[in-house]
Amino acid sequence: MKHDDSSNRLTRRRFLLRGAATGAATAALAQLREARAAGVGAANPFAYSVSEFEVTDPALLKYREVRRFEVPGPEARRLTLLPGGSLLVAAGRRFVEMTAEGSTVREIAVNGAARCAAVAGDGTVYAGVQDHVEVFSAKGERLATWQTPGKRSWISGLAVGENEVFAADSGARLIWRHDRSGKATGRIGERDAARNVPGFVLPSPFLDVELAEDGLLRVNNPGRHRVEFYTPAGSLEFAWGEAGMAIDRFSGCCNPCNLALLGNGTVITCEKGLPRVKLHGTHGEFEGVVAGTESFPENAKTGAGDGPGTTNRASLDAVADATGRIHILDTVTRRVHVMEPKQPT
Amino acid sequence: MATESTHSNAVSRRDFLRGGVRVAGMTGAGLLAGVLTHKAGATTHVWQIDPAKCVRCGLCATECVLEQSAVKCVHSHDICGYCELCTGYFEPQPNALNTGAENQLCPTAAIIRKFIEDPYYEYVIDEDLCIGCGKCVEGCNRFGNGSLYLQVRQDRCVNCNECSIARVCAGDAFRRVPVDHAYLLKTKPH
Repeated sequence: MKHDDSSNRLTRRRFLLRGAATGAATAALAQLREARAAGVGAANPFAYSVSEFEVTDPALLKYREVRRFEVPGPEARRLTLLPGGSLLVAAGRRFVEMTAEGSTVREIAVNGAARCAAVAGDGTVYAGVQDHVEVFSAKGERLATWQTPGKRSWISGLAVGENEVFAADSGARLIWRHDRSGKATGRIGERDAARNVPGFVLPSPFLDVELAEDGLLRVNNPGRHRVEFYTPAGSLEFAWGEAGMAIDRFSGCCNPCNLALLGNGTVITCEKGLPRVKLHGTHGEFEGVVAGTESFPENAKTGAGDGPGTTNRASLDAVADATGRIHILDTVTRRVHVMEPKQPT
Repeated sequence: MATESTHSNAVSRRDFLRGGVRVAGMTGAGLLAGVLTHKAGATTHVWQIDPAKCVRCGLCATECVLEQSAVKCVHSHDICGYCELCTGYFEPQPNALNTGAENQLCPTAAIIRKFIEDPYYEYVIDEDLCIGCGKCVEGCNRFGNGSLYLQVRQDRCVNCNECSIARVCAGDAFRRVPVDHAYLLKTKPH
């Protein structure tokens, strides 16, 4: 029997790597001794700093904040726009309808943690509730409940078209395609080498879907740091996005976390960790910043963890109204920031 | 009489030795009792870090009485996202996503990165190199699932009565835990 001892052989590469590691360890220990000599009050010599990325170049800021208000109750997660211009916020175990000025209009209770919603042109509300979808009329009457076919479903995003509803399932790592009666008619985004679909990489449950007027779905693929464009039949048309802390890239391990669309097709990307909201053209060109990290100090302090006193992952969500205003929900502070373009769109 | 009285007060060699043995015996018994009490204390409770309170201040690396701290980074693989861009492994703005020293966050290159399948990578801590600075822990918590965290390694800790790190811990994260539950392990993200 042949014995493979290659794992024990000291190759030139291994020798160099070990040398580099030993050198690094020696330098670090010297640093350690200096830090010990400096004492407890000295600045942390091992501090992890991203402060240079927490400040936004004012020239890139295309929006200004005109108002902010708080969502009542705990655990605000996502928001969407109703046909009349008011907002529907998924919070706790209910959906809260709020005016653009921040007054509560009504609440719709659901059977589980409210995650996300999409609203059809006729006002029908499709509510993502943990592992299923609940359907309500424009008046708030419950019409139906669909169970998604996935065994570990975690509905984190919804989009609705004329005849179809698309449910982003972070647990199953795919987008379910349903008809408006709730029948599952397709699966989108699963890894499929034959169709050149790489599959969604989701270290945390942030899979979102938006349907644009061109008929293509925009889906974030956070672990690959990009936005992917799919046909409703599941063909991957194109994708863009690069990893990095720089303002035109997507930061951390897994971003963007949520998406929204402007009327002209511009993609609004939300990030966590370094909380910021940015604008990208349909083909990925960076267009500017809606709100930088400095607008969300509590969120930035929380990082990607849970908000204080909640089990809610820190993140941002956004939605644009017909006038071009962008409403941003900070899940840590439960505040909605209303942003207006500096230049009329 | 005077002679007799002098005789009764005099310390004979036999009495001297007998007294000496008695004192030595009592001192030995006291010392033994002290050692046993101390040992019993050491085996019932040990120092540990509560990951929920740790603020990654860097003092674990500098304040331990040992030359190389008994605090080490540990990794909960159940929680890890096996990210290609691990923010606990890479500098905030790496030149490339490879194992080049200039791209690594860890000051001692104590994290080993291993390819699993596209696009997943496994990260393992080399405890002999880890100095417990918590830099990777902050990177992982800030952007990722928080699968990297600091723990006192009981095979290295000398279990000081007054832990010199606990005295200055910025997050008040050190506490005594029963020796049969010597680690405070993370089981869910953040």
